[in-house]
Amino acid sequence: MRGTGLQLPRATIGVSRWRRFRAAIDWPLILTILVLCTVGLFNLYSATRGLRQQVKFDTQCKWMIVGVIAFTVTTVIDYKAMVRLAWLGLAIAVGLVILARLQGATGGNQRHGETYRWLFVGPIGGQPSELVKVMMILVLARMFQDTEVGRYTPRALLLRLAGVGIPIVLIAIQPDLGTASLITLMVLSVAFLSLPNVWPVVHVTIAGLAAIPLLWETMHEYQKNRIFGFIDCDANDPAIAATANCWHTTQSIFAVGSGKLTGKGYLEGTQNQFNFVPEHWTDFPYSVWAEEWGFVGSVFLLAVFAFLLIWILNIALSARDRVGAVICLGVAAMTFWHVVVNVAMVLGIAPVVGVTLPFISYGGSSLLIFFIAMGFVANVSLRKHGY
Amino acid sequence: MMLIRSSSGPGSGNGPALPELHRRLKWIALVMAIAFIVLIGRLWQLQVMRGDGYYERTVSNVVKERYLPSVRGKILDRNGVPLADNRPAFNVYATPRSFKPAVRDELARMLGLSDDEIEKIDERIKAATKRDPKQPVLILEDQGRDRAALVEQSLSRLDGVEVHHEPYRYYPQGDLAAHLVGYMTQMTANEVDKRVSQGYSPDELVGRYGLEAAWENYLRGKKGVERYAVDAKGQRLDDKTAQTLIQGERVIGAVPGANLVLTIDAELQRVAEKAVARVPASAVVIVEVKTGKVRALVSKPSFDPNVMTGHLTRAEETMLLSDPRKPFIDKALRATYPPGSVFKFATALAALEDGQGAEDESMYCTGVYQLARTTFRCNGAHGKVDLIKAIKHSCNVYFWELAQRVGLDRIAEVARSFGFGTPTNLGLNGDSGGRVPTKAWYEQRGTYKVGYATNASTGQGDVEVTVLQTAMAYATLANGGTLYVPQVVERVESSDGRTIVSYEPKVSHEVRIPPDALDVWRRGMWKVTNELGGTAFEHGHTEVVTVMGKTGTAESRTRNRKQQDDLRDVEGYHPARSHAWFAGWAPAEDPELAIVVLVEHGGSGGRVAWPIAKQILEAYFRPKEDAR
Repeated sequence: MRGTGLQLPRATIGVSRWRRFRAAIDWPLILTILVLCTVGLFNLYSATRGLRQQVKFDTQCKWMIVGVIAFTVTTVIDYKAMVRLAWLGLAIAVGLVILARLQGATGGNQRHGETYRWLFVGPIGGQPSELVKVMMILVLARMFQDTEVGRYTPRALLLRLAGVGIPIVLIAIQPDLGTASLITLMVLSVAFLSLPNVWPVVHVTIAGLAAIPLLWETMHEYQKNRIFGFIDCDANDPAIAATANCWHTTQSIFAVGSGKLTGKGYLEGTQNQFNFVPEHWTDFPYSVWAEEWGFVGSVFLLAVFAFLLIWILNIALSARDRVGAVICLGVAAMTFWHVVVNVAMVLGIAPVVGVTLPFISYGGSSLLIFFIAMGFVANVSLRKHGY
Repeated sequence: MMLIRSSSGPGSGNGPALPELHRRLKWIALVMAIAFIVLIGRLWQLQVMRGDGYYERTVSNVVKERYLPSVRGKILDRNGVPLADNRPAFNVYATPRSFKPAVRDELARMLGLSDDEIEKIDERIKAATKRDPKQPVLILEDQGRDRAALVEQSLSRLDGVEVHHEPYRYYPQGDLAAHLVGYMTQMTANEVDKRVSQGYSPDELVGRYGLEAAWENYLRGKKGVERYAVDAKGQRLDDKTAQTLIQGERVIGAVPGANLVLTIDAELQRVAEKAVARVPASAVVIVEVKTGKVRALVSKPSFDPNVMTGHLTRAEETMLLSDPRKPFIDKALRATYPPGSVFKFATALAALEDGQGAEDESMYCTGVYQLARTTFRCNGAHGKVDLIKAIKHSCNVYFWELAQRVGLDRIAEVARSFGFGTPTNLGLNGDSGGRVPTKAWYEQRGTYKVGYATNASTGQGDVEVTVLQTAMAYATLANGGTLYVPQVVERVESSDGRTIVSYEPKVSHEVRIPPDALDVWRRGMWKVTNELGGTAFEHGHTEVVTVMGKTGTAESRTRNRKQQDDLRDVEGYHPARSHAWFAGWAPAEDPELAIVVLVEHGGSGGRVAWPIAKQILEAYFRPKEDAR
């Protein structure tokens, strides 16, 4: 029972391996992902139709196939083996982040503006900071695997804090405050739920909040504008609403609001079809969905995400061991914060930051890491009866 | 949460893998519940509570409106000669959102625009950006065919620029009757909001002066609307897509404005303007004696409305504004002047009516008149004069004496009954009332002195009249006592020539004049122009038609020297000189036209104003065969 190979439940004699495997598969999880992917593809088709962006639909389909393969691989390999290599994985991810920065600095990457988030290998590009999120989940599982309360000494905690803090700082100075904040939220959430004693988490959180004024000073002007810009966007004053900062938020609010109760109908959203919300296929797909499907559709999509989160927590509760439970918590936290921040941003109650909507947003990196993360969960689910 | 608890039980049988999670489940539940309730609450607020409003906003995002200009009504003279018309013009529009400084520079280079014009473009773009950066705005009006073609060829390089083919106002007769016809300008920043709420588009021209301003509502017509759909960049979507997005009519056609047919006779107007061309500043009013219809209305110096309408450069504007002769003030009906001797009819009629004077009463004029301690000087020593002779020679002493008998208020009463002191109601260019002082008026402002009546009796002192008022009063004298409201618009026609409104002559009131008194005054007037020694006869006589008239030489108060230093000098214009008047009518036997000529600071009425009136009347009454 040394952690390799499949651990199949009820290894009853006379039942084929295939049937036993099928019985162990977490169908609700897979069905939920399937629903989200279907919604995502339908929505992407509408979002990119007629904008000479249809190629994105095909690209997304290809990435989904890659995602399914990644899901299968991360389901099959025992998570304990993966957790053992967590720190190495994180180190590689951080290395890629630095490489992306260097690639950007040498002018090799002009495709995505002035930020250095993208790493290119030939024609394929990806955001290594997304990979950091996944590795962080494994690292957290490794950090919190000890059951004994005595292991969590202040010195040990400080070391671990440094271990997760460095990648976050590196991403923050990329600059990608959105991803950095998101990873911070993930880490704090998981720590809060996994540490025997929550007070260290509370202290770190308070210290972090106290440091915000200091951070503020070091921020770029456009970042400051983004954070406060959306508050001033009075939708009734066309002059302010027309500024670049407000344009996104204002038009997104118009799109969502104009959906009313039942929406304008699939492919009928004018804000979407005529491109009033820029780049709506990446960070604002929810505005497209809300415009075309209305309040009913919007709440439905949120409900699907809520079910997904509850199901992941469910698996965490029934996990075989502490490592598996923490992995599930990490995935749940990542999904939760992605959904909440992205939807809040679309609804104009959070600043515009580059946080995607899981399985709905267009983009290979985002899709891939969520498939991998869900693979972890399926992995834990598969092995819950292992002992 | 039930879902979680129900299945959390058995697990591995060794107790929960992560006991902390079980303990803190309620916190997860709380945070998730709050987050999702906030998001759903916000969705409810946006989509259900405010959904209709946002729906409208998204429609207005996509559906844009473009005004289709209406063709402005023409202004025609009584014979159909156009004074204001429309011609096709090429207007250049720009969409502020895509009109970058580089595009502006390219346009300026291509057309060789002046700094003045570039500045104007910048102003318009700035104002339009505030209103709606996606709505095209007029930046250059009335570009010639060549320049328009130049722009149209390079549209691909000029982002956000469009050229439209639209009707443009023009005035085929140039500066003929400029004050009457008026001109149009762009609206000022302050009035844009008000005008837009009345259905104007912000870059439209509006009537600013004369009939163009006063009859704006008839002339402008009703603009049409074209509704079309755009995407986020402001690019127009094809008609098929537009059809599905736009409810209702997509194009509502424009209704052309109504034409004004005037009582003005362009030919007579031209003759009058030609006659006054030799003096620097003047006004002429010619009215039909029996109807009050205005046949010519001249105010000089004037301006070319074609230049004023959208083409006026700043330098030209400064030039016009600094002219001491004030070209923008309508001298026929806005400016007021002391009437001088043409006002004497009021004194004469008052005295005759009251029995205070008689035709055959003679007085002796030594050239000086002593009243209290003031010495008044007549324009000559006329010797023994009766009333008729006093009119003929314009002897002031005789009228000063009459004034002492009847008093100021009686003179004022008669003058007011002829329409002085109140606006004529022409409804144009701020038609002035002038001033006819009374005893009460002086007492209100200080003390009354007997000398005021002396001054007023000969149209001096504080008496102020307009040229139009004088013309209406002399028309009344000519027709025997009917004071008309002057009329300049004969009728309003629709663009296809149907009469919409027709205006009949309007009588203000009948003036009570004893016929014998009127007869005395008329005989005096006849002698002025037709007998040796008459103030006009000395300076010319016409055989073409019998004219009756009265000259006037009104002393003007010398202008404030300091104020005048700011103004440039105009050759032949002497602000210290008297105003020259002639008021009369022709033909004497059966009066048709009343004419009043004023030459501002022209000097003697007989020498300066009368020859002008004579020239005009000769041209009008000369049999047409002779003219050829």
